[in-house]
Amino acid sequence: MSTTAHSRIEALGVCLPAAVQTTPQLAALVPGLGDVDIEKITGITERRVYDPEPASGEDSFGMALAAARDALESSRYGAADLDIVISASITRFKDGDRFTFEPSFAAMLARELGARSAIHFDVSNACAGMMTGVWLLDRMIRSGAVRRGLVVSGEQATRVAQTAAREMTDSYDPQFASLSVGDSAAAVVLDVSTDAADRIHYIELMTCSEYSHLCMGMPSDRTPGISLYTDNKKMHDRDRLKLWPRFHGDFLAKRGRAFAGEEFDFVIQHQVGTRFIDYANQTAEAEFAAPMPTSLAVVERYGNTATTSHFLTLCEHLRAGSARPGAKYLLVPAASGVVTGALSATLTNVGV
Amino acid sequence: MGMVITAAATVLPDPSAPASVVDLAGRAARGALARARVPASSIGTLINVGVYREHNTFEPAMAALIQKEVGINLDYIADPEPAAGFSFDLMNGACGVLNAVQVGQALLDTGSTERLLITAADVHPGGDARLDADYPYADLAGALLLERSADPCAGFGPVRHYTADRPTDVEGYLDTGTMGRHGRTTITVRREPGHAERLGERAARAAADYAQEFGIDLDRTLVIGPSTAVDDAGGRGEPHTAAPVLGYLRALEDVRSDACDQFLFVSVGAGPSAACALYRPEGR
Repeated sequence: MSTTAHSRIEALGVCLPAAVQTTPQLAALVPGLGDVDIEKITGITERRVYDPEPASGEDSFGMALAAARDALESSRYGAADLDIVISASITRFKDGDRFTFEPSFAAMLARELGARSAIHFDVSNACAGMMTGVWLLDRMIRSGAVRRGLVVSGEQATRVAQTAAREMTDSYDPQFASLSVGDSAAAVVLDVSTDAADRIHYIELMTCSEYSHLCMGMPSDRTPGISLYTDNKKMHDRDRLKLWPRFHGDFLAKRGRAFAGEEFDFVIQHQVGTRFIDYANQTAEAEFAAPMPTSLAVVERYGNTATTSHFLTLCEHLRAGSARPGAKYLLVPAASGVVTGALSATLTNVGV
Repeated sequence: MGMVITAAATVLPDPSAPASVVDLAGRAARGALARARVPASSIGTLINVGVYREHNTFEPAMAALIQKEVGINLDYIADPEPAAGFSFDLMNGACGVLNAVQVGQALLDTGSTERLLITAADVHPGGDARLDADYPYADLAGALLLERSADPCAGFGPVRHYTADRPTDVEGYLDTGTMGRHGRTTITVRREPGHAERLGERAARAAADYAQEFGIDLDRTLVIGPSTAVDDAGGRGEPHTAAPVLGYLRALEDVRSDACDQFLFVSVGAGPSAACALYRPEGR
C-alpha cells in the first residue's frame, strides 16, 4: 500500500437557505425571555432558517446534497471519481420530519450524487463532525487507502431553536444556547497534496470526556420537537478553553516548534458567538504568549451552524476574493464531548 | 504488520434497569481492556459504531459518553495522557464494525494511534427492546481492542464494500412529526418483506466476490456472517452492529476443533450495502 505525506483541501461548497430570521424576529417568538437581549449576549444579528415545504429541499439531507454538488462543481473531480463519502450531520432530517438512523446519510448521498463505488459512512461528533470526517479522510488518503473523498454535512439546526422558543422560561434555561443556531450545509473535497502551496500540514483532535455530559441533544419530553441542553457556563469556562492551546502547544513542542513560528495568517474558531470567539482567542494568546492571527467569522450573519461552521467560514472567505494565495489557516474545533484540536493548512488553489 | 484483535467482549443488559449504550459499551470496553491487561490511558482512539441509543440522543457522540465511562482522557489539563484520546461515532448500519476496522487500519498505518477500541452497542431508545414487538434488534454491546501485530501474516486483510444497485430495504428512523412527547422512547425500524432472504443472498455474493478477488480458499475459512443470533439470551432479538464481535468470539471457540485457520467477516446492512474482511488470528 502506498503512503503519502499530506492531503489537501481541493474544493469547498456550501448551501444556505434563502430565508433570513433576524434576532429580534426570533426573540419575539420566545415570550419566556422577557427583555433579555439575545443579540448583545451572542453577537448574532441574523441566521438562515430552512423552508419547511418538502419541495424546497431544505431538510438536512437536501441541503447536504446541494452543498456536495456545489463543491463538486468547483472540483476537478466528478462524483464517480470519489473513493469515499463521509457525512457528518448531527440533525439527520430527511423526507420531512424523519430523523434518520439507518441507512447512513452517506450511503444515500453517495447514491444520489452518483458516487456508486464510494466507501460511505456517517460520523457523529457534535459540532466537530466535519472536522472528524476531515481527520479520518486525511488519514485514509495518507495511508493510501483512498485517493480522494468528500466530507459533507447539512444541518436543520434551527429545529432546536423552535423547541427552545416554546419551552424557555428565562435566560438561565439550559436551552438558551439553542437560540444561537442557524441552518446550513457545507462540503469539502480532499485529495493528495503534491505541492506545499496546497497542503493540510496537520490535523490533530482530542476528546476530554469528563465534560461529555455538558451539552446533550435529544427529543424533548415537554413539547414535540428536538432539543439541546447546554451548561454554557461550564462548557465555555476558561479551563475548557485552555484545552486547545495546551494540546496544540504540546503537539508543536514535541516537534521542536512553537505557535508563533507556525506563522498562521488566519484563525477560524468554532462559530459559537462573537464573545466566545474573542474569549477563545484571548485565552490562547495568553497561553501561547503569542499574538493571534486575524480571526475570521460569519457568526453575526449565520449564527452557530454546528458541524459546518469552519468550512462555511472558510468558503465565504475564499469566495470573497480577497484571500491571499498561499495564506496559512488554523481551524480550531470546540464541540460537545468535549472535542478540541487544530487543523493547519496552506491554501492556494482551492475550488470554490 | 497487520492489525489484530487483542481482546473482544460482549455484554447483555441487566434486566432490572433500562438498557443503556453508555453502560453496555462501557462494560464491554472495560472487559476487553481487562482481558488484554492494558490501561484505558493507552487508548488513542475510540470509535462507537452503534446505531440505536437511549433517548435517541444525537449529541454528543455516544463515543464521548462511553469514553468517560471507560475513563479515557478525562481532562487533558488535569491529567495529561500521552495518548490524548479521541473518540467519535461512526454509523453505517450493520457494516459499522468493518468500516471502523478499515479506518483503524489507516490510523495505525499513519501512526495516528497505537491502540484502537471499537464499541458496537445498540439499545432500544426506551430501554428494553423486548417491549417493542416491531423492533427487531437485541439490546447488546460488543467491544474490540485492536493494535499492531509483530506477526506479518496475522491480522485483517483489506476491507471491501459492495453496494447493491437497488433501494434500501431497511430503514430506521424517529418520525418527529408523529412522536409527540414520546420522542425519547420511540423508534421505527421498517424492513421490506423478504429482507432475510435478500440479506443471506447478499452475504453469500459478497463472500464469493471477496474470495475470488483475493484467492481465498473458503474451505479453510470460517465465515463470520450477519445472521448470528443472540441465542444465549432467548427472545431478545437479533444482534445488530455488535454481530461481528459476537460472531468472532464464537468463531474462536469453533476454530479450536476446526480445520479453518482464518475468518472471513461478512456484514450486510441498510443501503443496501455489504462489507467483507479476511482475518488471520496470530500464531496460525
